[in-house]
Amino acid sequence: MFRGALWLLAGRGCVGRGLSTRSGGSTPDWTEKVSEIKKKIQSALPGGSWDPLYDTSHLPPEHSDVVIVGGGVLGLSVAYWLKRLEKPRGAIKVLVVDRDHTYSQASTGLSVGGIRQQFSLPENIQLSLFSVDFLRNINVRAVKFPLVELGLHCSLYTLILTNIHTGTRVSLRQEGAKVCLMSPEQLQNKFPWINTDGVALASYGLEGEGWFDPWCLLQGLRRKVQSLGVLFCQGEVTRFSTSSSRMQTSSGNEVTMKRIHEVHVKMDHSLEYQPVECALVINAAGAWSGQVAELAGIGKGPPGTLEGTRLPVEPRKRYVYFWHCPEGPGLETPFMADTSGAYFRREGLGHNYVGGCSPTEEEEPDPGNLEVDHDFFQDKVWPHLAHRVPAFQSLKVRSAWAGYYDYNTFDQNGVVGPHPLVVNMYFATGFSGHGLQQAPAVGRAVAEMVLKGQFQTIDLSSLLFSRFYLGEKVEERNII
Amino acid sequence: MLKIIIPTIMLIPLTWLSKSNMVWINSTIYSLVISMVCLPLMNQFCDNSLNLSMLFFSDSLSTPLLMLTTWLLPLMIIASQYHMNKESLARKKLYITMMILLQIFLIMTFSATELIMFYILFEATLVPTLIIITRWGGQTERLNAGIYFLFYTLAGSLPLLVALVYTQTTLGSLNMLLIQYLAEPTVHIWGDSLLWLAFMLAFMVKMPLYGLHLWLPKAHVEAPIAGSMVLAAILLKLGGYGMLRITAMLNPTINFMMYPFMMLSLWGMVMTSSICLRQTDLKSLIAYSSVSHMALVIMAILIQTPWSFMGATALMVAHGLTSSLLFCLANSNYERTHSRTMILARGLQTILPLMTAWWLLASLTNLALPPSINLIGELFVTVSMFSWSNFSIILLGINIVITALYTLYMLITTQRGKYTYHIHNIKPSYTRENTLMLLHLAPLLLLMIKPKIILGTMY
Repeated sequence: MFRGALWLLAGRGCVGRGLSTRSGGSTPDWTEKVSEIKKKIQSALPGGSWDPLYDTSHLPPEHSDVVIVGGGVLGLSVAYWLKRLEKPRGAIKVLVVDRDHTYSQASTGLSVGGIRQQFSLPENIQLSLFSVDFLRNINVRAVKFPLVELGLHCSLYTLILTNIHTGTRVSLRQEGAKVCLMSPEQLQNKFPWINTDGVALASYGLEGEGWFDPWCLLQGLRRKVQSLGVLFCQGEVTRFSTSSSRMQTSSGNEVTMKRIHEVHVKMDHSLEYQPVECALVINAAGAWSGQVAELAGIGKGPPGTLEGTRLPVEPRKRYVYFWHCPEGPGLETPFMADTSGAYFRREGLGHNYVGGCSPTEEEEPDPGNLEVDHDFFQDKVWPHLAHRVPAFQSLKVRSAWAGYYDYNTFDQNGVVGPHPLVVNMYFATGFSGHGLQQAPAVGRAVAEMVLKGQFQTIDLSSLLFSRFYLGEKVEERNII
Repeated sequence: MLKIIIPTIMLIPLTWLSKSNMVWINSTIYSLVISMVCLPLMNQFCDNSLNLSMLFFSDSLSTPLLMLTTWLLPLMIIASQYHMNKESLARKKLYITMMILLQIFLIMTFSATELIMFYILFEATLVPTLIIITRWGGQTERLNAGIYFLFYTLAGSLPLLVALVYTQTTLGSLNMLLIQYLAEPTVHIWGDSLLWLAFMLAFMVKMPLYGLHLWLPKAHVEAPIAGSMVLAAILLKLGGYGMLRITAMLNPTINFMMYPFMMLSLWGMVMTSSICLRQTDLKSLIAYSSVSHMALVIMAILIQTPWSFMGATALMVAHGLTSSLLFCLANSNYERTHSRTMILARGLQTILPLMTAWWLLASLTNLALPPSINLIGELFVTVSMFSWSNFSIILLGINIVITALYTLYMLITTQRGKYTYHIHNIKPSYTRENTLMLLHLAPLLLLMIKPKIILGTMY
């Protein structure tokens, strides 16, 4: 009888609900009002943050120990390692500020996602080795790292070279990257679909090279970092409040050293901004790092001095094309980089390929927008692809997109570490196309620099900012 | 006493009528002069009190605390000078006025004869403190902190009002000098326990007692430097002072009521010291260490022996100076790096060695190094606690060890080790800051020579 009564009541409830929805939404309005009132009471009770005048939940906090400008993979990697390496836990308050929560123009999401150790600079090799190790073990790392399906295809990265860089080979062996060199005949044997015309040597990574899904890494890092207590804010950094003091170097020259006290974060589509008081700023703004550095006054000074040395990172547009070729190379296709600079890799299992080519200095496209130039593919990429892989003579481009390289115009290698004059700004940017693959290692390096005062796992002192002033180029020969 | 109160009241027109470049100087110098005027009161020539009028008196318990209050005002003004720099002139004057107002109320509280007057001024001190915390504090959490502070203290002291009015009607008078003779021990009825609780609860919340201490870390961390200083140095001692006065008239047959609070204090002392070991925020660490030291004072007052009263009084004065000094040091760090996290500003010894000397002395007095007055206080309390119950020596011993641990941890983390890269261009120590630290340390070190003046009424 009791059950019957309940059923009746439930039935009546259903009918009642049906009636109300038919009448057009008076009930949902009421529940919304109630939940709003509840939210207001909750925020006024002790224990919640309370601003009596207006709702400030969209604004960043008024104080944060570290502010990371830029929420791409490099910024998130720095945040992750800062939280991981801090002792004791929960000591540092980190805020990640990004202009665009959809990452529509960020280089991370638009990247092709390859990872290789075949660099000529030992630091680059070490960075990539560490990153591969991190990516391989990403799911068994700390407890609670959300499952990241990175799809790390440990396929091979083949760099086809026209001249022998013995120096490269020696440093690769020294660092422990497993690379083997193949002659044109061996290359023909291994990949019969290659036309080895004009190839002197091919270097072929045996382990730890390939590609992965950068969006997965970004989202995984983002969730992990949020679970570790890092705050996110969508806004644009418009100003740094600094204070400067004049100091003398040991040789008697006067320099002006600056310290950043506050970061002004402006909200989207509004004039509202929040000054965030901070102890450190980390510039991981990718292609726009140059502008952020200028806000801090880096580069404002007579040219030729340390004060007048700008951060030489600027956005450069690169195109990526996605095509389908039914007779193309099969599952064993590595990430192939050709002598001409064109590269491609397999995407998925349906004879689809992704690839592109870096334009020469003269044909640099205008980085004002992310429009794709399809003629570039016709004129510059396709001929080289068709020459190297004859099957690609008949292909159909399905889609294309463009992304920015945070291009370091000085020597195309990253800038890591603090600025000598603006003492509490650290850089993690300028990696010119290989930032995604080195992000975990660079994040760790910057976190060590912040927390311990020196690089510990990988010594990146050759990648500091001061090299721009001293003119010491750290050149990388294998650039894609 | 009017010779102290009237000049302090006149400090307010002094502040408002000073020229903009003389505001800080005038208020600092004149408040220092007022503290000098307070010194002759220290000359207590009899065991009884110095009865100056119907309303005000001073005896050897209230005089050290009064001296501490008047000494602290110039120090608060010196400490606030930097962070108030960017405010408008009217705001600066308002800030100083709040501090002076607080000072007036505190002087009158410590020298009040009538318990009702004591109560009114006890509550009145809340208002300027609340204004200082919520208006000039650092972050949005300060509103929360202000609410906690206000309501904890208010809720605790309402029963006190009822109890005081009741006692006035039964005993006939609430004059502090008379009630110790008027109140007679009676046969215990359970209402007496409630009365005991009503009297003591307000002061327990103020001290704070371990279970009621939630407002303290919030208020201390969110308050500006002057607010932290006055909170740590004096407002906490109001609770101790009140307890010391009230126990003179309470019925000794209900002494069993103290047991729960003794347990809370003993346990809380060890707990809050342990929390200090895991703190990452510098101000939070000093706030919890205040709770730990005050727990010792509560225990001492509850067991009511002559030695423990002496220890409580000495510990109150010593802790006031030490805690205020530690807050000033933490603030000098904060002004330079804009962060209160300890690990972000390390290795300061290489950059600011004189400040390290002050840090060292502050840490040494905080961990009660002999022959500082902190040690005298702690030692007297420990010895009398041992005679009350042999077992408590274990917990007290553990507390002393943990106090040393966290104090040294704080010292080594901020001063020693390799400095972080981003602090190597911080501004060197100002003379003003060094003066501030010295003015804190000088009484601490000089009192070692004649601690009798801070040992209170039982000496």
